[in-house]
Amino acid sequence: MKRLTLVIGVLILIIAFLFGCARPERPAADVGVPPKIILRVGTGDSGEGLNPHQEIIARFENENADILVQLEAVAGRDYYTRLLTQIAAKDAPDIMQIGDDAVPMFASKGALLPLEDYIKGTYPLDTQMYLPGVLDPGRWEGKLWLLPKDFTPLGVYYNKKIFDQFGVAYPQDGWTWTDLLQTAQALTRDVDGDGKTDIWGIQLTANWTTGFEYWVAAAGGRLISEDGKRFVGYMDSPETIAAVQFFADLYNKYKVAPPPADFNLWAGGNTEFENGKAAMRIFGRWPQARYRENPNLDLGLVGVPAGKVRANILFWSGFGIFSGSKHPEAAWRFLRFYAGKEGSEVWKDWAIPPVASVAEAAGLTTDSLEGVWIRELNFLAPRAYVFTPYWNETADPALRKALETVLTDPQADVAAVMKRAAQEAQAALDEKLGQ
Amino acid sequence: MAVQSYPRSQQRTGRLERREALTFYLCISPWLLGLLLFVLGPMVASLIISFTQWDLLSPARFVGLQNYQKMFNGDPLIWQSLRVTVVYTSVYVPMEMVGGLILALLMNQRLRLFGLFRTVCYLPSVLPGVAFVIVWMWILHPDVGLLNTLLSWVGIQGPRWLADPRWALPALLMMSLWGLGRSMVIYLAGLQSIPQYLYEAAAIDGASGWQSFWKITLPMLSPTVFFNLVLSVISTFQTFTSAFIATDGGPLDATLFYVLYLFRQAFQYFNVGYASAMAWVLFGIIFALTLLIVRSSDRWVYYEGERR
Repeated sequence: MKRLTLVIGVLILIIAFLFGCARPERPAADVGVPPKIILRVGTGDSGEGLNPHQEIIARFENENADILVQLEAVAGRDYYTRLLTQIAAKDAPDIMQIGDDAVPMFASKGALLPLEDYIKGTYPLDTQMYLPGVLDPGRWEGKLWLLPKDFTPLGVYYNKKIFDQFGVAYPQDGWTWTDLLQTAQALTRDVDGDGKTDIWGIQLTANWTTGFEYWVAAAGGRLISEDGKRFVGYMDSPETIAAVQFFADLYNKYKVAPPPADFNLWAGGNTEFENGKAAMRIFGRWPQARYRENPNLDLGLVGVPAGKVRANILFWSGFGIFSGSKHPEAAWRFLRFYAGKEGSEVWKDWAIPPVASVAEAAGLTTDSLEGVWIRELNFLAPRAYVFTPYWNETADPALRKALETVLTDPQADVAAVMKRAAQEAQAALDEKLGQ
Repeated sequence: MAVQSYPRSQQRTGRLERREALTFYLCISPWLLGLLLFVLGPMVASLIISFTQWDLLSPARFVGLQNYQKMFNGDPLIWQSLRVTVVYTSVYVPMEMVGGLILALLMNQRLRLFGLFRTVCYLPSVLPGVAFVIVWMWILHPDVGLLNTLLSWVGIQGPRWLADPRWALPALLMMSLWGLGRSMVIYLAGLQSIPQYLYEAAAIDGASGWQSFWKITLPMLSPTVFFNLVLSVISTFQTFTSAFIATDGGPLDATLFYVLYLFRQAFQYFNVGYASAMAWVLFGIIFALTLLIVRSSDRWVYYEGERR
């Protein structure tokens, strides 16, 4: 008897285990009501970042009684891995969030549906209603795969308190690298006379490679050829070298930038600006809400300065439809709602909404902060990932190493460092293209 | 009659044995299933994947030994990551072995409050690795961190630790020493199983504390040392969390551990085949090292129950 109980117990355990591995049950439809379509939406956002999603979903479900939307949030660096395995298992969310530099990978491997047919179909979308440049990162090889979720160009935050304290004029739109250097020098101060800098001119972004693309673009250079096959001749061009040189000089020669606190993009980085120890900071819109409430700061914002040319770059993430979705039309209806006027009505309270008329009606285009971000959209240069799906594993590590070299070794010969970086990146790319 | 009944009883025992064996396998089957599904299965799969080129999305392409060839010539970062890992292991393992032992000897007192001290020493090992690393990142902050502030009080301008290619790896070593408690606990268990009469006998013969440490404590503790050494080498070769969180392999790849590079290949570049090949090479290295330690143990590990 005892053995029988044991055997039955074990069998129950195994069955429970197998059921535990099974897919969770979908909510059952009410009797008599036609079953609802269930859409899954995958996002890499977390915490407060989920609030706008949830609000848009609630509004959408209110207006579309036949569709239920489930938000699947996977935070952290594992998001794409999870998505790729789900796609391989043909079990990915119907709608997926994808960030700018991952668009070529997902689009080129057939994970997404092209949107053109839907844009002209039963539920049309007016693609003219968007702010300039915010649709472009969703394109790959001439087709549109994703619609914008949120985005930001770069800008220069400044702390009016420090400017007023030392009687320095605020930076003005249309300023240049020369103005930047002069302003930063005027603000870099050793207040207590102990030989150490107490207030820094401008906090920069160390080895952040994507952010560095702005400096290259503003110097009139680019990092990769138009056909996406050459780094040599671009990463080591006179323009790129000039950009690296100026960037390194701000740290090492003019000493107007606080030395990097770390070289890890995922760590805290420098904190001088938010502590009131640096007068300016070049960065995206991400910390703006936090800065507004920071008592150390009296916040101002200006567009990035022009080098040889005026240029900016865009950081972006958008939503696309999974090519294996069983409900592509319902997914499109949601996507159209999300990235359309309705979604923008919610987004305007959290970030810059992609739809121009919504941004305007909310007074954002004339806002002293938000207006700067929107104006900067007129100067966007394409980012390097647009030209190759292999950017992240070929040129990115080489560029990162080059920046770390010139920042940790003030004696380094910038031209030689960039030449070596270009060759390393080229060798890695050639191998990838040869496969 | 007895002779005739013998085979029948044999038969019955056989049936009984079979039934018992069946029950045995049924009872361990949850574990067996888990092993097959989640350990052996993936291991075999990764061996197969290591001979392919695969990005998780496009169909895998068989490339033979190409991944392994690329590792040995054509990827300088493999050598850099191996160098970092070997340097780190060859410094950390002796530090952990000796440091843990010293700590255990100190804590092996039957006095009041020592239970509390032991707990305090072991506490960092209970902390989740990520939280632990983040606390250390604050301590090591070059401008406002605790360590450099303390150093500045005694007139030393501390290095930029994690932001300096020369100091990043030593900083990670220092950080890991917080985890000494793990080996300490194992040593303590070993120390407390050494019978007291050995020390008493030695004391009667006039042995000094130093002599009884070398002649009694260390030989009696050698199985524990052996166990700690094997564990320590295996886990140190797999160092990942501290570099992943604190430095992301930088600056200038100074803390690019082998497993961190493997992770990058697999989950940032999606070269899953190449990463699997790296995993198997790492398995080979660890296996060879462990074998070396086990083989050498005959010479220096003393088991009481063993007759020589």
